[in-house]
Formats: sequence, C-alpha cells, structure tokens
Amino acid sequence: MNEQLLRLTNINKFFGNSHILKDVTLDINDGEFITLLGPSGCGKTTILRCIAGLESIDSGDILLYGESIKDLAPNKRNVNTVFQNYALFPHLNVYDNVAYGPRIKKAMDENQIKKRVTEMLELVQMSGFEKRMTHQLSGGQRQRIAIARALINKPDILLLDEPLGALDLKLRKYMQTELAQLQKRTKTTFIYVTHDQEEALNMSDRIVVISEGEIQQVGTPNDIYNNSKNFFVADFIGDRNIKEVKVLEKKEDFCSVKLGSSVIDIKSNRSMVDRDKCDGRGSAILAIHMDKMKISYTQIPNSLFGEITFVHYAGSQIRTDVDVDGEVVTVIEYQNDYDNYNIGDKVYVSWEESGALLLPKEK
Amino acid sequence: MFLGKKAEPYYSLKRNSGKGYNMKRVKQNLPSLPIIAYFSVLVGIPLLLVAVLSFLSRDSLGNIIFEFSLDNYKKMLDPVYLRVFLNSFSLAIFTGLITLLIGYPVAYFTASLERKMRSFVILLIMLPFWISSLLRTYGWTILLGNDGLINNILLFFNVIDKPLNMMYKFGTVLTGTAYMLIPFMIISIYNSVDKLDRSLLEASYDLGGGKWKTFFNITLPLTMPGIARGFTLVFIPALGLYFISDLLGGGNTMFIGNLINNMATRGRNRPLASAFAIGMILLVILVLYIYGRVAKNNKESLYQ
Repeated sequence: MNEQLLRLTNINKFFGNSHILKDVTLDINDGEFITLLGPSGCGKTTILRCIAGLESIDSGDILLYGESIKDLAPNKRNVNTVFQNYALFPHLNVYDNVAYGPRIKKAMDENQIKKRVTEMLELVQMSGFEKRMTHQLSGGQRQRIAIARALINKPDILLLDEPLGALDLKLRKYMQTELAQLQKRTKTTFIYVTHDQEEALNMSDRIVVISEGEIQQVGTPNDIYNNSKNFFVADFIGDRNIKEVKVLEKKEDFCSVKLGSSVIDIKSNRSMVDRDKCDGRGSAILAIHMDKMKISYTQIPNSLFGEITFVHYAGSQIRTDVDVDGEVVTVIEYQNDYDNYNIGDKVYVSWEESGALLLPKEK
Repeated sequence: MFLGKKAEPYYSLKRNSGKGYNMKRVKQNLPSLPIIAYFSVLVGIPLLLVAVLSFLSRDSLGNIIFEFSLDNYKKMLDPVYLRVFLNSFSLAIFTGLITLLIGYPVAYFTASLERKMRSFVILLIMLPFWISSLLRTYGWTILLGNDGLINNILLFFNVIDKPLNMMYKFGTVLTGTAYMLIPFMIISIYNSVDKLDRSLLEASYDLGGGKWKTFFNITLPLTMPGIARGFTLVFIPALGLYFISDLLGGGNTMFIGNLINNMATRGRNRPLASAFAIGMILLVILVLYIYGRVAKNNKESLYQ
C-alpha cells in the first residue's frame, strides 16, 4: 500500500459570496474506503467535484501521487465518478454505456474493449444485460451499470456521490455490503459521499465528518462514534443525550460537573474540555449515548436521579424518558432487569464510562 | 417494476363515478369545438375546393369548365415544371441546412446563459415576428441592392469600384428565406438543448471525453429530436413562401409558390394552380411522414 494517494491541502472554494469549502486539508491512502459524511449543503459533494475536476478550486492544491492535478481538465484525471442520478447515457445501451470510457479515450481496440466490458459486467453481476437500454433497468441495476462504467477505466480513485440515495431501504442495505465487498475485491480507493451516518459507519475504513465547509473530525467509524471530537460530531453521529452542564472542578484524573442538582465525575480521558476552563464558573456539554445508559431502582454512584415520564416499546428496544430536575434524559435498552417501567417511578440512570463525553461548549 | 395494483385513470376516481365514462370524454373535448369548427370551415372547405378545382379545366377566357380531367396533373410532369419543383425543393433543403448551421450554435449558447439573460436573448430572437415579414423582406433589398447599404459602404471605403450585383439570384432568395425562418430552428433546438441533462455531459468529461467528443457523442444525438423538429418547421414554409422570391429573386428563378401565384392570378388558370398546390401539399405530407418516423424512433430510444 502506498501512503497518501491523494492529498488535499488548504482547499478554499467560493460560490459568489458564500464560502463553500474552508481550508479543507485531507490525506487519502491508497486502497481505502473513505466516506465524506455531513448534512446536505455542507460541501461534501463539492469536495468530490473538485477532485473530479468538475469544479475548480479558488485556493489550495490537489495532489495525486504527489503531483498537482488541480489545473487538469476532468478528462485528463485518472479518477472516475458514480453520479447521484447515475447519469447513464439514455441513447446508448448497457454495453455501449460501459464501453464509453475506453472508446472515447481510444485506449483499446474493440476486442479488448469487449473483454473488459464483459469483465466489468461480471464484476457487478449484470452479465446478459448488454443489449438493454438504460430505461429498461431498475434503480439498482442502473446503479451497477454506473459503477461498471466508472471502473472500466481502472481509475486511481472512484468517487461515489450518494449513489444509494435513490434506492429503497432494503436494496440500500444490500448494496452497502455489495459496495464494500466490491471495493475490497477491486482494491480501488473509494471516496464515498453520504449524509447517512449508518451507511458511513457500515462501509468505511475512515470517515470524514464535514459541517459548513469545514472538516470536523477524521477517524475510523469506531473513533467517530465513540470519541467524537466536538459538539457537532457528537450531535450528528448516533443518538445521544446532549446536556449543558456546569463544570465544577477538574482533578488529576476526573472532572466534576453538575447537571441539575446531581454532581457527576467524568474521567479525564472522556473529557475534551481545557483544564484552564474548569474554574467552577464555565459550562460544558455532556453527551451520552442513549444506548449505553441503564436504569435501576437502587442507588448507584455516579448516576442521575429522576422520574420516568415516558416509556416506548419498539420491538427489541425500550426507550424510556427520565426527568432529571427538569431535563429529559432518554435511555435506550435492549433488555431490562425489570418486567416493566411505570410512569412516575423514581429511578437512577447510569452509563458506561465509554458512552459519555464532556465537550467544550463552543465549536 | 412490479406494481401491486394498476393505476386507475384519473377520470374513474370516486367523485366522478356517477357519470358515464363517455360523457366525461365528451365534456373534456367540448372546449375544442370552436377551433374544430374554425378549421373545418376556413381550412377544410377551401382545401376541398382546391382539390376539386385541380381536376377541372378552363376555357381561353379563364372560365372554369366543369369536366373531369387529369390534364393538370399530366402537365406537372413536364420537365419545365419538374425543374420548378426541384428549385423549390433545393431552396427548402438549403434553407434547412443553413438555419441548422447558424441556429444550432445560437440555440446552444442561449441555453447555457443564465436565466435572465436567456429570456432576453429569446426575446431578441422572437422580436422580428412583431414586424411585417413583407417589410422585413424589403429591408433586404435596401441592404443588398445596387444602391444599397452594403454596396455604398464598400464603395465608400474603396473596397470595390463598381457595385456588386447581389440581388435577384438564387442566393438572395435563400438568404431571405433562411433569415425569415431561422427563429423556428433556434427555438426548436433550444428546447432540446435546454432539456439536456448536464450531468450526462459531466459523465462524458469524467470518462475521458473532451469538449468536442462529448458534443458529437452525447449532445448531438440527444438533441436530434430538436434538429428534426426544427428542420421540418423550416422546410415546409420554405417550400411555399413566394413573396420572398418575388421581391428578392425578381422571378429569375421560378419556385412553386410563385408559379401557383402567377397561374392563379395573371395566368388565369386556377385549375392548374390548384393541381400544383395539391402537388406541394403531397410533398409536405411526405416530409411530415418522414419526420414522424424519425421522431418515433427517437422517442423509443431516448425517452422512457
């Protein structure tokens, strides 16, 4: 594996007066499945289009194998894109769509092209569809043809722009596995854009969380999920209780905070708050994964005391709302030690240490 | 794709279920009655008269003799008259080609303008329609005549020492006809280019196609319906327009339109004029039929 196949350095991009990308810097390794994750309008698709060459950048550089490609036209870059709406050519059949790349590049003769197209269609399990027109295909089939068409040129990087967005839930889940396997088989670097955190967590080697044109955090799915670096990531990824707390004091290995009338200790390795700011006056954000919490009727150290206000059974999981001094905390459990919770019960809410994070209040 | 239930037509929705299906159809078509009446009276009947007239003949004073004959149609096969058909046909073909060559780039760039600018350019393209076409044709004589604007400018700057003879030629008629009909071509192609999905062009660039290769492999085939429509819209009137060839051609080259006009008025031979009119209509129907075939093929392969 070569390190740093693609390097984005301090990329800035403006559309009129709006600053779309703000100093985006990112290294992408050879052969990895990396996902750009963020809400719509955060600039993730723009990053993809800049890499493809369909959008120019206002400052910064894009290096592929250490060489700048920022001034190259899209047809001179060895990267290919799977478009959001697939963009299959409606006047060409499946075979001609897939063969479009090598034909237009005059890279091979027709015999070689035929071999490659057959290979590609096998790869995406669409053999036998050569003569079909694209409008005769279902969404999932079009998706596969779009991937085959993009992979036939053997790109250094395959860019995928929310390719599963138009498919129904079941097919989407199926295609997630397919895509991840395809990536491993072809050993091609995939840069995948999505707003769906589940998709990102499922498929990626690394995730880049983006908000308002800025990279918020880069890390493995596990890192992103458990060790969110800031408020935005904590709020965006997973279901968390997010509460503002008063920081009382920071000791050697823990930090005391106050939520309502309860005082809680957070271990230092779960706190991202600066030591200097723990002077007893500042406040911070406490973020706890709902599914790493637990309800009990007996007192446990380091827990919150409150009253159950709502119980919702959703098949395998139970969601319970607990009112803690006016703040509602939601707990998700997959099984509980008690037959039933009753609204109005007085309970203690605790959590696994790794489920909680103390984050600075500002971005 | 599998649909659990076939979609029901909108007119069978519950609120209409009391009324019969046929009643509904009749009601829907009711507003089109005036236009059907208008066309049958003002187009259908005259057309029928022309068809009948074409099988009659005339006496030396130009009075119609009510006797069936095919003479008029036999005369049409005379090489002199076939030549006239050929003139008209080549004028229409060349007009189609010229308007296509000029109109395509105009339509393409108009479609790529931003919204406000686009409406403005379309307005400019449509603007000449607000002025009488006869007047605009006279404009060309002012421009191209021996004592016209172009000759005067060229003489003034000593580019030439005697006026260029640009009037009363086939090319003059072609210029005038192409000028008159080019908006139809531009608007037709514009509609096709405007509908073109830009992501298809991006996909072509992305796969390694340059600007020209993308144009010939993607843009051109996908805007073919617009080209075919534009060509038909230009070709048909170009066959029949006669005042342009009268004013700009000076009768040096004879076209069907002029021939029919001459025979019906000065020649006092309305039956023969009618036969030629029918001949021209048949030619137009042939072109429409070919267009219909092209459009149908395109529809099958291009759209869902």
